[in-house]
Amino acid sequence: MSTKQAIKVENVNKSFGKGDAFVDVIKDASFTINKGELVALIAPSGAGKTTLLMMLGCVNEPNSGSMWLGDEQVYENKWLTKETRKIRRQKIGFIFQAHYLIPFLNIIDNLTLLPQANEVKDKDSKAKARELLKYFGIAEKEEAMPSQLSGGQNQRVAIARALMNDPEIILADEPTAALDMNRSIDVVKMLKKIALEQDVAIVMVTHDDRMLEYCDRIMKIENKKVVFEK
Amino acid sequence: MIHLAKEDIRHTLGKFIVTAMGVGMLLGIVLIMMGVYRGMIADAEVLLEDLDVDLWIVQENTLGPFAEASRIHEDLQYTLKGYDAIQKSEAITFQSIQIPKGKEQISALAIGYDIYGEISPINPKRLLAGRVIKSEHYEIVVSDKTLFKLGDKIKLGRNFYKVVGITHGSVSSGGDPLVYLSLKDAQELQFTYTNKRVQTDRARGIVNRDAHLVNAIVATVKPIYSLENVSKELKKWLHKSVYTREQQKAVLTKYVIEKASKQIGLFTVILVSVSTIIIALIIYTMTLEKMKEISIMKLIGLPNATIVKMIVEETLLLGVLAFIFGNIFSHLIYDKFPKHVLLESSDALSLFVVVVIASIFASFIGVKKVINADPTAAIGG
Repeated sequence: MSTKQAIKVENVNKSFGKGDAFVDVIKDASFTINKGELVALIAPSGAGKTTLLMMLGCVNEPNSGSMWLGDEQVYENKWLTKETRKIRRQKIGFIFQAHYLIPFLNIIDNLTLLPQANEVKDKDSKAKARELLKYFGIAEKEEAMPSQLSGGQNQRVAIARALMNDPEIILADEPTAALDMNRSIDVVKMLKKIALEQDVAIVMVTHDDRMLEYCDRIMKIENKKVVFEK
Repeated sequence: MIHLAKEDIRHTLGKFIVTAMGVGMLLGIVLIMMGVYRGMIADAEVLLEDLDVDLWIVQENTLGPFAEASRIHEDLQYTLKGYDAIQKSEAITFQSIQIPKGKEQISALAIGYDIYGEISPINPKRLLAGRVIKSEHYEIVVSDKTLFKLGDKIKLGRNFYKVVGITHGSVSSGGDPLVYLSLKDAQELQFTYTNKRVQTDRARGIVNRDAHLVNAIVATVKPIYSLENVSKELKKWLHKSVYTREQQKAVLTKYVIEKASKQIGLFTVILVSVSTIIIALIIYTMTLEKMKEISIMKLIGLPNATIVKMIVEETLLLGVLAFIFGNIFSHLIYDKFPKHVLLESSDALSLFVVVVIASIFASFIGVKKVINADPTAAIGG
């Protein structure tokens, strides 16, 4: 039975190195993020934002603890599957600082690349891509190359790409870093709308305090502990 | 279905084609090298094929005129004709000569044969113009490679010879054109000296030089006799070295062409290795240029197989395209070489297989880069 829970983390720890080089990054993190939530992740540089994001994205392995993505437990002191990449492919959407679209693929191919890897029929993935492009107001750009689009348009395509696999969570690494103020607000509002309409949990790393007011909750890393502000 | 390799190549088509053309030129040279070797083999076999004889009787303990000096008495042909197993036998001479043409000298191999004999080294199929030699003296048949025309006069030794026939494709194992003379003219050219030399020889007490020498006697064997047995018998009774056609072919390839073929083979291996390294470096560079995209593809969950497939396909396509360009290039330039270059499709096919295997090896370095790519490199700008 499906629940509202998108991410559940219990007593997760992450450290790097050994001996003198040992560094604790995340200690005893426990939290839950529900579907439909837009959560900001803030912390000073080097505090472990990316590490946390990469653990939630099943890229970096925690040292201990438990982790669930949706209803599926993916970590219990070790990955519970060898195919963490498949989990990413099927459950997680990623948005980056820059759009990082594949420059040699046109817009529609950039969007359908991931569903293709998930063995979704070409016809269905193209229909979904067109639907998303329409949703983001760039339907006429499907045959264009990324180099032919503006920065804002490309970032919208990147967001659309993150939604192509109907993810349960979206991990956004400073998605507004390369945009001006107005466009940044537009993107965050868009993410908020997506979270609600697509029923997806979004964790967004940001350094821009002005974006926080559009988020449902603010997650901080303080002294290696994950805490929530509101 | 999205074909990543195809899309990536389309994105940088010009660069990819120019790169393939560059590698193609190298592969074209490989094909030319193979063609030079094939040409040498083909050239070496021209005379053997044209004479179409079963046995070569040459000076004892020599390999025969293709490999070393061989002198044998002309009248041995008549002794041979007395053997029941021998169908035909003729005397033949070989001599490397320089033919003056304007200010230049043309290297050629002169073949002397009995114009009334039953065995002729001139293959009628090769005769482009004119006729075979009909007079015992002062007529010559030349290869079209010499660029002489019918009726031209050529000075050889003390005499002038009139060009009465032009052949095509008749060359020696060294690639020099063949010219044909009557046996008497050829013997005179090879074994007779100038008047001054004769005078000097006489002063030294050297007299009555025997001009009735030839370089080999060639013979055909009646079909009912075993070639091997006849060869053994003749060797035993004549005190000469006797070789079958296949043995002469082996002499040509083993002793005459072997070194050249090894050299060409080594060059070919080096060029193929260089091409492989170049393809590997190009693919590595192309992979490095895409590292950010590859990290992103890995991060968003694309399987390694999809990305590796792209790299391997690009490498293979580069190899195949380079091979095609190499083939075109070699066919455009092969006839510009002074030596006979024989491009054979079997060599091209072998090279194709080598290129495919080399391309797969060349892709390893790019594939390794993909497998080791850190997906987190996509995070953090």
